[in-house]
Amino acid sequence: MARVKLTDVTKQYDDVTAVDNMNLDLKDGEFICLVGPSGCGKSTTLETVAGLTKPTSGEILIGDREVTNLPPKDRGIAMVFQNIALFPHMDVYDNISFGLRLRDFPKEEMDERVDEAARVVRLQGMLDRMPSEMSGGQRQRVAIARAIVRDPDVFLMDEPLANLDAKLRVNMRTELQRLHKQLDTTIIYVTHNQAEAMTMSDRIAVLNKGELQQIAAPLTCYNQPANRFVAGFIGSPSMNFFDATAGDGSLDANGYSISFDTAAVDRLGADDPVEVGIRPEDIYLEHNSVEAEDPSRTFSVETDVLEPMGDEIFVYLKPILESFDEETADFEERQGLLMSVDPATDIGEGEHVEVVFDRARIHLFDDQTGDAISHGVVSDADVEAGDDGVQVD
Amino acid sequence: MSIDARDHEDAEVFDGSGDDADDDGDNKSRVARWADDWIKHPEKAYAVMLVFLGGVLLTTSLFPLYWLFNVAMAAPGQTDIPLFPATVDLTAFVQVFQQVPFARFMFNSLFYAFTVTVFVLLVGSLAGYAFGRLEFRGKTPLLFSLLVLSFFPPATLFIPLFRAFNQQVPMLGLFTLPVELYGTPGAVVTPLSAFTMPLAIFILTTFYGQIPDGLEEAARVEGTTRIGALFRVIMPLSAPGVATAGILTFITVYTEFFFSYLMTGNSAAEWAPVVDGVLAFQTQYTVRYDLQAAASLIAIVPVAILVVVAQDKIISGLTQGALKE
Repeated sequence: MARVKLTDVTKQYDDVTAVDNMNLDLKDGEFICLVGPSGCGKSTTLETVAGLTKPTSGEILIGDREVTNLPPKDRGIAMVFQNIALFPHMDVYDNISFGLRLRDFPKEEMDERVDEAARVVRLQGMLDRMPSEMSGGQRQRVAIARAIVRDPDVFLMDEPLANLDAKLRVNMRTELQRLHKQLDTTIIYVTHNQAEAMTMSDRIAVLNKGELQQIAAPLTCYNQPANRFVAGFIGSPSMNFFDATAGDGSLDANGYSISFDTAAVDRLGADDPVEVGIRPEDIYLEHNSVEAEDPSRTFSVETDVLEPMGDEIFVYLKPILESFDEETADFEERQGLLMSVDPATDIGEGEHVEVVFDRARIHLFDDQTGDAISHGVVSDADVEAGDDGVQVD
Repeated sequence: MSIDARDHEDAEVFDGSGDDADDDGDNKSRVARWADDWIKHPEKAYAVMLVFLGGVLLTTSLFPLYWLFNVAMAAPGQTDIPLFPATVDLTAFVQVFQQVPFARFMFNSLFYAFTVTVFVLLVGSLAGYAFGRLEFRGKTPLLFSLLVLSFFPPATLFIPLFRAFNQQVPMLGLFTLPVELYGTPGAVVTPLSAFTMPLAIFILTTFYGQIPDGLEEAARVEGTTRIGALFRVIMPLSAPGVATAGILTFITVYTEFFFSYLMTGNSAAEWAPVVDGVLAFQTQYTVRYDLQAAASLIAIVPVAILVVVAQDKIISGLTQGALKE
């Protein structure tokens, strides 16, 4: 167990900066997820911690040791790979004990440790099998056993569940969480699957284009995204965004006008262009508006496409407005909204409905930088990262 | 009736008779019936061709060996060799070892082959790792120059190497070799290693390049160095390629004549190769063809054993060249 600290880590390739001035400080025993779209530098960041890639500049500490220039084998880490990477020419026992054999462990202790690791990942009785005789989930468990058997300071996991089928992935997710509770080792986990990130980690580090966007608890990232990228990346389906102009106490978008407390949103001057974000579950049909913490006034919209998901229905909405200028407004892109409603809701395609926004859950972002200006636009709803924050039907 | 005319008539009969060729087979020549039969049953044609081509192949490759055996059976000085030996007398195979230290000659050649193979696999693996798995500036020109090197006729290098190994010429114009290599195994092993290296590097580069990066990274995280990962993970997984490169090198060196003959003395104690052993049965006035034939057959045995043992690996190494993860 150890803390991990990255200071100004940069990895520059010939023409791209894969990791740009990354600063991370992980506490001992913390489970942290690096998330971001493909090519955002999350795997490269992990590889610099592993020692498989040497950073162009910056410093990496594991525990209190500077490891920036140490080879992987001297860093006290273990890693689980996306493609599992079991040695195909060795049976399960040899795979798990590979690292121990390299360190000249005595035979008895090796047997003991391998048995223990096999027990933790529930692989007893399979130690003499070859990897080719095992299923995907079993192979992944062998890879995890190989990682835990050496009792490393830090676990690095590079999309370990990405190659498994959906059901197995959920299973393994639970097993990994159980394992983390049991071992209490620092884990750095790379994924592009935000469900994994949200459910497993103590903190999420959201990366984009090699830069750290936000590092915070999953629900903080969800409820108080630091910028527009985090807001759009975390949450599925994605947050709705539209451009608006700040008037005197109201936001004017093409079709929507939302009043706000100037006290709550102090950084906003008149006529400032802003980007408004609201999650699908924070839009309510008018008759449900009591569920909203602080409902806005109603808007008339027309339902477009319905996507019944079973536990909820996603409804695509388009505004109905006399003043709406179809010529100039890119309304498909900007003003179309996605709302999620209870599956019992009686709603059809092409209906005119009235909806309200939850003003306590409207996010404002700077039009230029994308930085968050405010979460919630009413003063009494200074949003806390509370548990009930996400539980909106 | 000419053959042409007959064929022509048959063709008309065939056209007229429709698809059932068996019933009116009597009207056709034997060749035409065969042709019909084979067209209907191609597997028969394949079987005949297999037997025929296989026979040709086996005859051309095995008959020389059989002939050598025949010669070995003949009495000393006998020049008229019958197709079948009159008596089977294996004393020649024993005499070979009694008249000259033939075992030592064979040991010398096997020693060259083994040493060069080990050296080439070791150095070739490092080169194959670099060429197959690393990106570096000048990789393509380097590989290309290796290819060019392998096209170089070794004989052209003999005179300069001969003089260098005799300490007559300073290497690179800077220093003479600290010891005289001529007449030692080193005078054979070093040049032959150089000549067999390019092919081995090319084979190993291909195989090592196909091992997934993840496996090497896993090995390094688990506690090996890059070189440790090469020998513990990449090489075992490339076994067909390593076997192919190794066996090709071994056979090349074992059967090599030019350098191993000229760079060493003529006696077994002077590290003469197996060819010298065969030639040792030829004196100024006599040639024991029977013993030479027996010696040649014995000399084939190690390579034959090697090929039989490793044939699976060689075949998969030469044809498949792919590894599943």
